[in-house]
Amino acid sequence: MAADPLIYVLDMLVFIGIFSLLAISLNLEYGFTGLGNFGKVAFFMAGAYTYALMIETGAPILVSLLGGATVAGLLGGLVSLPALRLREDYLAIVTLSFGEILRLFVKAQEGFTGGVHGIQVPAAFTAFVASPRLFGLANVVLVYLVAGVAFLFVQALINTPYGRVLRAIREDDVAVQVLGKNPVLYKVQVLVAGSFLAGLAGGAFAQYMRFIDPYMFLPLVTFYVWIALILGGPANNWGAVLGALVVEIFNRGTRIAKDYLVLPVDPNNLQFIMFGVLIILLLLYRPQGILGESRLRTPAFRRWEHGAADR
Amino acid sequence: MALLTVEGITKRFGGLQVLNGVDLTVAEGSLTGLVGPNGSGKTTLFNVIFGLYRPDGGFVRFRDRDITGFPPYKVYQAGLAFAFQLPRLFYRLTVLDNVILAARRQRGESFWAALFARRAWRREERDLAEKAYGILELLEMPHMALKPAGELSGGQRKLLEIGRALMAEPELLLLDEPAAGVSPALALKVYELLARLREKGITIFIIEHRLDLLLNFADRIYLMDKGAIALSGPPAAVTEDPVFYSVYVGEHRKWVS
Repeated sequence: MAADPLIYVLDMLVFIGIFSLLAISLNLEYGFTGLGNFGKVAFFMAGAYTYALMIETGAPILVSLLGGATVAGLLGGLVSLPALRLREDYLAIVTLSFGEILRLFVKAQEGFTGGVHGIQVPAAFTAFVASPRLFGLANVVLVYLVAGVAFLFVQALINTPYGRVLRAIREDDVAVQVLGKNPVLYKVQVLVAGSFLAGLAGGAFAQYMRFIDPYMFLPLVTFYVWIALILGGPANNWGAVLGALVVEIFNRGTRIAKDYLVLPVDPNNLQFIMFGVLIILLLLYRPQGILGESRLRTPAFRRWEHGAADR
Repeated sequence: MALLTVEGITKRFGGLQVLNGVDLTVAEGSLTGLVGPNGSGKTTLFNVIFGLYRPDGGFVRFRDRDITGFPPYKVYQAGLAFAFQLPRLFYRLTVLDNVILAARRQRGESFWAALFARRAWRREERDLAEKAYGILELLEMPHMALKPAGELSGGQRKLLEIGRALMAEPELLLLDEPAAGVSPALALKVYELLARLREKGITIFIIEHRLDLLLNFADRIYLMDKGAIALSGPPAAVTEDPVFYSVYVGEHRKWVS
């Protein structure tokens, strides 16, 4: 497989797509609403395992994907309930620990989830399994369809009065209350929607990998998503996609560098040094990320933009 | 008729008794002033009325409806609006968005309507943009509409905070020191604006240290001292009272405005 460069490119594309989807979902939560979800991987994992268990019973791929997303979304709502009434940093702590608890739980469930041995995921594209190239291509199409729909969904949701309230909550949720809106309701909805999208990514991941185990869902995955979003530009969906691309290229690039560089340490670890340096430089010189926040586009904005001249 | 009734409100922070049985009423259609020394509990009282603090005792009634302990968004929905002393704007949002956020009952603010009732809220948005334009014109900053609120000067921030409260079209408007930190000319403008709002039927309840302005515009003044009402009445009567000087103004002579 490693001998075929096309497979390598397809594999990379699939991962960029999955990471983009995760970054978009974190963007909805953190970039637009200011919710620091440090348990992204938990909802990704919930989606992946639910997908695996559903497809095993013979459910169609779309149903299994939506099933995984729904379970992840419900978990997102559940986790948000105790945390949202407290200060923001508690949400970070609660979600981070939830991610690890869920992973340890799955790891302990030998009979149900395969525990440490993981779980085989029957391929959905049975016709393509014989050819790795076709299988890769089918997955690229699937992942980008799902990510594309998610992108359009978040984009549509954000450029509305609803999206305006979300950004306002990020700035000052007491002022939002004084203007007659209940921030808790919005935050729960956003965490459900964000976790739903992460669950979709999990399903796509499980279907592509055809095998999942608890060690694929370490907290590190969450931090990769955060790096992608902070690099690309929070509150900008294009920034989330760009960040996912950069993270994935760094991740792969350092793995390729392994073949060419002779270092006293594993060159694979170079990526962490590089991410660290990059983030420090970015936060110093361009804290808004590579792309910076996108404007809120509603008819009110457009009316003003075009109407200012003839007033 | 009393639009707002505050009865026996008490509030303690640890060992500090900030409100000690406050009783007052705000008549419908009036501009009522609340004055008092720093630390006498004026802002705390406003925070209790608006649900930002839960009182330890007492009642707040609005149109004979008990709103004691309502969360702020429900107090707003009951028909009140509040402008903070230190503006709490959404600094990375545009001035326009800051104003529009205050509008009541926007259909597009619900998750499903935002996605699936686009036609309805898009029409609504255009009307809100017009209304926001009117308010920004009043505040003399339409040219700032698409700038982030964080780029405004201190005085403009105060005005925007008031503008937001106007967009809410409340029945009762609570203002905490609208003239503080604003130039004398602009402060006068703010008060003339408030007088016009009162003519339109909006009731205004206002904390203010600028007596020169307040006494000219207010229908009734409450003087607060050590967490309770020390004095009340029409401005002329209050400024005649020696208590007014011993508690607040600090000089034993008639206040000349």
